[in-house]
Amino acid sequence: MSHANVFRATFQRELKLLARQKADWVNPLLFFIIILTLFPLGVGAKPNLLREIAPGVIWIAALLSVLLGAERQFRQDYRDGVLEQLVSARSPLVGYSLAKIAAGWLGSGLPLILVSPLLALFLGLSTEALTAVVLTLLLGTPLLSLLSALGAALTLSADKGGILLALIILPLYIPLLIFASAAVEQASFGLNYQAQLAVLAAMLCVALALVPLAVQKALKLNVG
Amino acid sequence: MFKWLDPYAKPQVLFATLLWWQRWLMPLSIVVLLLGTVWGLGFTPADYQQGDSYRIIHVHVPAAIWSMGVYAWMAIAAFIALVWQVKTAQWAIGAIAPIGAVYTLIALFTGAAWGKPMWGTWWVWDARLTSELILLFLFLGVMALQNAFADRQTGDKAAAVLAVVGVVNLPIIHYSVEWWNTLHQGATITKFAKPSMDPSMLWPLLICILGFALLFGALTCLRLRTAILQHEAHRPWVRQYVQEQQHATV
Amino acid sequence: MNPRRKQRLLAVSGILVLLSGGVGAMLYALNENVDLFYTPSQLIDGLGEDKKKPVVGQRLRIGGMVVKGSVRRDEHSLKVSFDLVDTGPVVTVHYDGILPDLFREGQGIVAQGTLLDATTIQATEVLAKHDENYMPPEVAEAVKGIKHVAPKQTYPAGTP
Repeated sequence: MSHANVFRATFQRELKLLARQKADWVNPLLFFIIILTLFPLGVGAKPNLLREIAPGVIWIAALLSVLLGAERQFRQDYRDGVLEQLVSARSPLVGYSLAKIAAGWLGSGLPLILVSPLLALFLGLSTEALTAVVLTLLLGTPLLSLLSALGAALTLSADKGGILLALIILPLYIPLLIFASAAVEQASFGLNYQAQLAVLAAMLCVALALVPLAVQKALKLNVG
Repeated sequence: MFKWLDPYAKPQVLFATLLWWQRWLMPLSIVVLLLGTVWGLGFTPADYQQGDSYRIIHVHVPAAIWSMGVYAWMAIAAFIALVWQVKTAQWAIGAIAPIGAVYTLIALFTGAAWGKPMWGTWWVWDARLTSELILLFLFLGVMALQNAFADRQTGDKAAAVLAVVGVVNLPIIHYSVEWWNTLHQGATITKFAKPSMDPSMLWPLLICILGFALLFGALTCLRLRTAILQHEAHRPWVRQYVQEQQHATV
Repeated sequence: MNPRRKQRLLAVSGILVLLSGGVGAMLYALNENVDLFYTPSQLIDGLGEDKKKPVVGQRLRIGGMVVKGSVRRDEHSLKVSFDLVDTGPVVTVHYDGILPDLFREGQGIVAQGTLLDATTIQATEVLAKHDENYMPPEVAEAVKGIKHVAPKQTYPAGTP
C-alpha cells in the first residue's frame, strides 16, 4: 500500500470516529472556554489588565487543551493492536501518522479557531487583536498537533504517560508561545506583526517536514 | 569507512577502553580545572568596565559552551543508536544527559549571579537565556523519558528520538545573540577574527574550557562504564571483572 | 520509474520544499523588528524601509548610550532621568528605581517601558548592557582611551 492510500483510509476512519465520539473534540473545546472564563474571575475583571494578559492567556489555554487530548491520540490503536498490524505488515507509517495528525488537528485545533471570536467578548480584545488571534491560531494549532503527536508517540508504552507527555512537550511549545503571543500583543497596539507570523510559518514548515518521520520512528520502537 | 570503530560497539571492548581513558582523564581534568579557575578567579587583572565581577566568566562560559557541546555529543550518540542500532550508543545517552543537565544548571546559575551586579537583574526573558533554559528542559525530558518505560530498551530509543529532535535548539542558542537584540553580549572567543579579550584573561578562560571538556570526558567514561556493568550484569565477563575487583580490594 | 522510487522522490522533494520554505520565512522574519527593540534614531526616524514609528503608549525596549552630563536625579526619591543617544537623535528616559552597578555615563543600556511622547520613555526597567570585550584597565586606556571609573564617581556633584 502506498502512503496516500494509508493516509486516505486512516483519515476517513478518524473522521468517522470524530463524528461518532463527539466528546473527543467537545471536551477539549469546553476546557479551553472554561480556562478562559476562569482568568477574568481569578485576576479580577479589569478591562485593561485583561486586554494586556489576553495574548498569553489565550495561547496557554490553547496549548493546554491540545495537550489534554494528545495522550489518547495513539492509545486506542496501540491497545487494540491496529498499530502492531500496521508495523508487522510493513505498511507506510508516515501516511498513517500524517492522517492521525491531520484528524487530531480537526478535532482539537479547528474548534479553537472557530470559537475564538467569542474570546473578543470575554477578554475585551479589539478587532485587530482578534484577527491576529485567529491568524496565529491558524498557523500555530497545526504545530501544536504535530508536536503533541510526537509526544504521544514517544510516550505510547510508558508507565506514566500523561504527565511525562506534558513534561517533554511543553518545553517544545515555548517558542510558539513566545511568538504567537507577541504577534497578538503587537496587533493590539495597531502595529504590524508579519514578522511573528513568518516565524510561526517557518516553525510549522520545519515541523511538518520532520515531525512525521520522528512520529513514525517513535511508533515503531514502542510497538516493536 | 568506519569499520575500525566496529569493535568499540562491543560492550566488553568499550569497557576496557573507557577504563584506560578514565584513568588519565580524571586526574588531568582536575589539575586543569584547578589551574584555570585559580588563575582566572585569583590572578587575572580586573576588567576596565566590570571590575572584579567579570571573573565569573571563567566558570560561566565553559559551562555554557559545554552544555551545548554535551548536548551535541548526546545527539550524536542518539543518532548512532537510531541508525545503526548500537546498544552502547543507547546507553551513552543516559550516561551523558545528567552531566549536560548539571553543566546547563551551572551556566544558568553563574549567569544569574553575573547578571545581577552587571545588568541589574537576575533573569531576563531574552532569547539567549530562554533558549538555554529550554536546553535544560530537554536534558531533563530525555532523562525522564528514558526512565519511564517498563522495557528499558524502549526507553533508550524513545530518549534517542527526543535527543535528536532537540538538536534544533542548538543553533537557536548560538545565534540568539545575533538574530535578536538581546541583553546578553555577543560571542567573545568563538569569533573567527581575533578574540575580543585581552590575552591575560583569555588564557585562563581557554584552560577552563579545556578543563570542563576533560571533566565531561572523564565523567562520561565513568558513567558509561557503570551503565555497561548494569546492562551486562548477567554476562560472564562482568562477573569475572567484579570478582577480580573484590580480590583486589581484599 | 517504479512506484516505490516515485514515492520516495515525492517524499524527499516534499521535505526539501517544506524545509526551504521554513528557512525562507525565517530569513524574512529576521529582517523585521521582532522584539520591539529600538535605538534612539530608529525611534525618531522610524524603523525599516517603510519608516514605521512606534505609537505613543506602546511598550517597547530601547537601547543606546547614556549621554554625558544628562543624568538628573531627584534629591528625595529614586526618580532619575537621562538621555540616550546612538548616532544622532536624543531620547529622554524617566525611571523610578535602582540603577544597575554598571550604569554610568557613556555606558550602553537597555530600558524597557512605555512611550510617553515621540522622544520620551517612562521606563519600568533599566538594564546595563556590556559588550563582549574584556581587558584590564591599563589596556583599555591605551586601546580605547577610556578611563576606568568606579560607579559611585559618576553621581553628579551635589548628591551624596
